[in-house]
Amino acid sequence: MADSKKVRKEDLAGLLTEWSRDYAVLAPSRADGVARMAAWDGEDISFLDWYRNTINPVKSLFLPPVEEMFSISRNERGHRIELPPKDDTGCLVFGVRPCDARSLILLDVVFEDAYEDPYYLDRRRRSIVVGLCCTNPCDSCFCTSVDSGPAATAGMDIMFTDIGDNLLVEGISRKGKELVAGNATLAKATRTDENRARKIRLAAEKKITRKIDTGDSKERLLAVFEDESFWQQVSAKCVSCGVCTLLCPTCYCFDINDAMTGGEGSRCRSLDSCAFSSYTKMPMENPRADKWRRVRNKLCHKYEFYPMLFDNIACTGCGRCIRLCPVNWDITQVLDSLPAKHESKI
Amino acid sequence: MSYSAAKNSQMQKKLRQEAKALLEQGKVDCIIGYEPGSLKHATTPLITKDKAATERLVINPFIVNNLSNFLPYTKGRIGIVAKGCDSRSIVSLIQDNKVKREDLFILGVPCSGLIDVSKVEALVGKYRDEIDDISRQGDIITVKVGAAKKEFSLSQVMFDNCLACELPTPAEYDVLLGEPTSPIGAAAESAGKLDELKAMTAAQRWAFWQNEFRRCTRCYACRNVCPACYCKRCFVDETEPQWLAPMPQEPDNLMFQIIRNLHVSGRCTDCGECERTCPVNIPLRALTRDMYDIVDELFEFKSGMDTKTQPLLTAYEVDEAEDLVK
Amino acid sequence: MTQDSEWEPRLLGLLCKWCSYAGADLAGTGRKKYPANIRIIKVPCSGRIDPLLIVKALRLGFDGVLVSGCHPGDCHYQTGNYRARRRLAITRKFLEGMGVDPRRLRATWVSASESGKFVEVVSDLVKDLKEIGPNELFGGKKQPDAEKAKTGS
Repeated sequence: MADSKKVRKEDLAGLLTEWSRDYAVLAPSRADGVARMAAWDGEDISFLDWYRNTINPVKSLFLPPVEEMFSISRNERGHRIELPPKDDTGCLVFGVRPCDARSLILLDVVFEDAYEDPYYLDRRRRSIVVGLCCTNPCDSCFCTSVDSGPAATAGMDIMFTDIGDNLLVEGISRKGKELVAGNATLAKATRTDENRARKIRLAAEKKITRKIDTGDSKERLLAVFEDESFWQQVSAKCVSCGVCTLLCPTCYCFDINDAMTGGEGSRCRSLDSCAFSSYTKMPMENPRADKWRRVRNKLCHKYEFYPMLFDNIACTGCGRCIRLCPVNWDITQVLDSLPAKHESKI
Repeated sequence: MSYSAAKNSQMQKKLRQEAKALLEQGKVDCIIGYEPGSLKHATTPLITKDKAATERLVINPFIVNNLSNFLPYTKGRIGIVAKGCDSRSIVSLIQDNKVKREDLFILGVPCSGLIDVSKVEALVGKYRDEIDDISRQGDIITVKVGAAKKEFSLSQVMFDNCLACELPTPAEYDVLLGEPTSPIGAAAESAGKLDELKAMTAAQRWAFWQNEFRRCTRCYACRNVCPACYCKRCFVDETEPQWLAPMPQEPDNLMFQIIRNLHVSGRCTDCGECERTCPVNIPLRALTRDMYDIVDELFEFKSGMDTKTQPLLTAYEVDEAEDLVK
Repeated sequence: MTQDSEWEPRLLGLLCKWCSYAGADLAGTGRKKYPANIRIIKVPCSGRIDPLLIVKALRLGFDGVLVSGCHPGDCHYQTGNYRARRRLAITRKFLEGMGVDPRRLRATWVSASESGKFVEVVSDLVKDLKEIGPNELFGGKKQPDAEKAKTGS
């Protein structure tokens, strides 16, 4: 917290307006009935009172639910392919929660790994992620069990913390530090401000009571992988909808489809879900035709396969899959119920 | 019969005994019921073959899921907990030959209506997990947040479809767990968005729906929780021909929901599950309720009322709907 | 509604092969003139018509859909048209509730000998559609143009 700054709440709109000059500023909004990141309207900062997290995770700004990759039109000589107009505007997302910010780190690795995904990475490079420390986590949150927490800064450029009349402002990344350092609206934070922030963060952390031991989840999952009866039982109430995956901050499966009418249209990429029975049906059949295999895949991808590849658990504990699930399927209960390594038959 | 917590726990006790006995005597292979959820004021489906697990079965004003949805995918003989609305879905599935009556043991729950926690959230301005207690005594719902206590009427906090419920006590059951209940009878207050929509012009209505479906994520929760949506292969998953784009884009989102409603016409019982589970709060019940009323108005048909009735779309009368044809 | 004077509605006809399709055919061989606004798909029976086909036509930008089957009692499969009638009644009413002009969906019975009626119905529907205006329900996208697709021009 060494060089932390602060801004009075009544000055936040001014600060965002200032940033609006250089960036397209997005902030939490519930204008259409659902909490989401939307173009900031230039004045409303009421989200400081009601906002806990968005329904759509922050990934949807970088890996949108659907995007046009190129359009296909026809002229006298045949077909014409056009890339969407290039967008160079920088984008500043205000109010990203620590869980969602962390998800970006987990996704970056995937999209830069075997090949560089220009669509995702271009948006990421143009973005500034301004986090907002969690002060009122939900009962479904379990971020502290997966290397995160209500005050974690991973994936953020700047972090704000609500400390009453003021917001404490900390530059996290180089980009973020520069933005904070040169800003005249921000005042230097006092020791009292910093202490208050510390207390608030501790209190928030205490509010997170949903805890799981993820220390050896990789090994435990591996051990139980072939145990069909275990997975049958775990998946019994799953209805195979896409809520938990499409709205998961770290799920990144996508599908590519042509939306064509009369020989014209566009090629689009959209999110896909391994929970769907039609998943990967385009080359042949879904290798996971049974529901229990799909549920197993979802869990293992996050807690076994991804960690094997990238050393991190691909879950940020945001709790969306628990609180939005139609049947209250709870990933933490399932992880808790994994037999210890030595108990397994295999 | 008015609701009381004591009567409710009586039912719950009876349910646990019955369910355990059914498994012990080998009358059913599994039990489908509800157990406490992992979130506050929530329950979750319990699908089990384990007699000890029947101790976890609950009945309370939060047993929201329509469990009949699991029937076509569950093998063997099934003991299923069913509220009035669920029993209608079960009957509809029997009419459609998706399940056999003799494979079911229906544990009927005379239902007094379910509490819509999102309505409570809006009323007290708190999120689900910030609300300490929601309890019902008679026709009063008491909500506690910290030291504050507020009382609400049924029409304020019950699900819209519960307010219009026509069959709170299952007509089809093997054992009824309590005394029959009567409908809340607040149909006038249950229309939700539908009344607003009816007052609009056609263009406004269409614009309304276009706007609502802009945020559809195509998660298909509405379809997958719907007991009437049991097709092994849904038209949205067809690739040859591809009826609509399998991605969340606006005209197709709306088209998907129109077709879904048309496909479940006469089987939809207005159980409200599609609207409840929509993660982006699209008021889907304004569509399902409209369809429910249309079917009733045109053909005097109410889905899932008795196992003998022929499904709506497989039956016909020689003289009907002729005014449609020009 | 004022319209571009050149605008001509496009409509899709879903015609039962046993009666209405033959009726349309008879109109042609009898040199009866009917509006060229209709594109016809032959279906084995009006009972085969899934509401999906109707909504898909509207999605593709057709301004109206004509469904025509055998007269009550004359269905080649005995009851297909009765079942179709139920489905169509529901479809039309439901679409109307959502804000679609119900006149965009026309159902009729045309026998193999009723070429006159076929001409009448199509003309009347075209007249209706001219009054209603173009279908912009699903973003007003153009429907696939058969000629254009063939020549690639």
